[in-house]
Amino acid sequence: MSILKKLVLSAAAVALSATASSAANIYVIGGKPDDPFWSIVKRGAEDAGKVVSAEGGKVVWLGPQNYDNLGVDAAELIRQAIDQKADAIVAPDWVPDAMDPAFKAVKAAGIPFIVYNAGGIEAADRLGAMNYVGAVDYKAGVAGGDYLGKAGGKSGVCINSLPGAANIEAYCKGFGDGITKAGGKSDVLPLPATAEGNVTAVTQAFKAYLLQHPDVDSVFTTANLDAVGAVQAIAQAGRTGKVKVCGANFDQAILAQIDAGTQACAVDQQGYQQGYYAVSILNGYVNYGLNIPTREILTGPGVVDKANIKATMAGTKQGTR
Amino acid sequence: MATGATSGSGGLGRVLRRPETGSFLGLIVVYVVFALLGGRNFLTAPGWSSWLNMAAEVGIIALPVGLLMIAGELDISVGAVLPASSLTVAIISSHYGLPIYLGIAGGLGVGLAVGFLNGLLVTRTGIPSLIITIGTMFAVSGLTLGFTILIAGSTGVFIVPDPLTKSIFGEALGGMFQVGIFWWAGFVVVIYCLLHVSPWGNWIFALGGDRQSARNAGIPTQRLTIQLFMLSGFAAAFVGVTQVITFGSAQVAAGSSFIFNSIMCVVIGGVLLTGGAGSVIGIVIGTMTFAIVNQGIFFSGLDPNFGSIIIGALLLAAVLSNDTFRAMALSYVAKKK
Repeated sequence: MSILKKLVLSAAAVALSATASSAANIYVIGGKPDDPFWSIVKRGAEDAGKVVSAEGGKVVWLGPQNYDNLGVDAAELIRQAIDQKADAIVAPDWVPDAMDPAFKAVKAAGIPFIVYNAGGIEAADRLGAMNYVGAVDYKAGVAGGDYLGKAGGKSGVCINSLPGAANIEAYCKGFGDGITKAGGKSDVLPLPATAEGNVTAVTQAFKAYLLQHPDVDSVFTTANLDAVGAVQAIAQAGRTGKVKVCGANFDQAILAQIDAGTQACAVDQQGYQQGYYAVSILNGYVNYGLNIPTREILTGPGVVDKANIKATMAGTKQGTR
Repeated sequence: MATGATSGSGGLGRVLRRPETGSFLGLIVVYVVFALLGGRNFLTAPGWSSWLNMAAEVGIIALPVGLLMIAGELDISVGAVLPASSLTVAIISSHYGLPIYLGIAGGLGVGLAVGFLNGLLVTRTGIPSLIITIGTMFAVSGLTLGFTILIAGSTGVFIVPDPLTKSIFGEALGGMFQVGIFWWAGFVVVIYCLLHVSPWGNWIFALGGDRQSARNAGIPTQRLTIQLFMLSGFAAAFVGVTQVITFGSAQVAAGSSFIFNSIMCVVIGGVLLTGGAGSVIGIVIGTMTFAIVNQGIFFSGLDPNFGSIIIGALLLAAVLSNDTFRAMALSYVAKKK
């Protein structure tokens, strides 16, 4: 009798431990928790983590203390996740040279993982990750060009205040391709080094450009302050209402401009979705063998304009945007 | 006839001997070139407002930086003081919701404090001001970033200034001429009087000419140096205030271009890099030349990808022409003797 009882108890214990081991402990490597963008990604991961917790697992956020040695620190965090017996790992491929060996160690340990935020589907393919969850700068530019082109834009310009920076070049190329496909034409306005970090210089340069190019009706900006400057340049050139502004990313000032109608749209990479979907996909996979066959889960471009500005502003207050 | 010719060339000699003559001719050449290339838009009000708006901001900083250079010093930290001041205004008056005048006082106070520290370090340590102010530039940048994220949780802070404040610091007259231009004019008048009318100005020239002799002559060189650094800190902070009120947004990553831009304006204006010579009129002319070239590129139809090259070439040409004019002036005087 007592032996039987013991057997039953130990069987229960085995069953319990089996449940515990199949619940997913998901380690998410990201930016500093106080980084405004990364706090949104973290919020998405935590929201998906509510389901993970309900199924007995947990989501652990690992972020560097600072960005002084980003690639090496992030690689170290990935190794830390392996050492802590993670069931699944989510990490960005910020600096491939420094981080790829760590991703290979994850692969060698047989831990399922997703590359998110940076690296693209190329990194996921190269490293053997399940998927890539994130946005592509080029496509954000395309979305801006497409939006302004479909709004009637015939002649667009992309303000490049950091010539040579790969992501800015990608935004501008995307914008050009987007508006061209929608039936317009496009140009790039590169600013000299004397304008760096000087919104007045950006404003006056764009004003001069507008005066010399009376046909321009659409502009794409790649930095938040540039969008503020562009709106003032349009006003100073006497073209308010005739030139539409769209920009990559947004902040409070940009949302205020969209709300006031001086800016047409902002293209967002939707960091919340990056954290949410990466965690959700891995949780389903570890627990139930579920998969999302779509390769390259794009979280952006998400367009913010008059139609969803109120919801976006509400999301900003809630920490999801 | 002979006397007439003599007095005529004497007048020419006086003009040539003025340190800003070379700079002024440079300004004319640059304006004519871009007027020919840029056409109507460049010559009319929108064109003038375009380069004057740009000139006003860098000009306000270039004036005290010029005084420092005449005194034989440099100030690199202006590039960090500007965003520090903008963010101070935005954090005090927007994040904490305190009255705007407190924010502005705070922003300007940051500039004065950094200037005081620069002056103190330069006079107490004897380390060249180039090195000291590079150090304070990084320190101020780091503090700005750190405190902004600590307090506001973001690298940008926003502010909606009240109409009165906006009209004083950030309005555009006629829809295009920013009030900064009038502030710049005010700074020019005040600094002109300081350098060329008050005895304080002679001290600055003496300091740049020979620091030891200046001290021996009884000039309070340490106090003077600290005052000069406080003036440049104040000017950079002032531009930071006008920017945040004009654009309603302060970002941590701003201002760096003002470091070299202000030095370029001063050098184009004929101030000697080694100190001891220069004038306020020259600095104003240098600033205008710099701004006309910067904006002219966008009016001219030249490929803006080459913009930085044109600006760099201008700087070298300006220094060469200034040196040539100075040499001509000196040899002319020598010949007369």
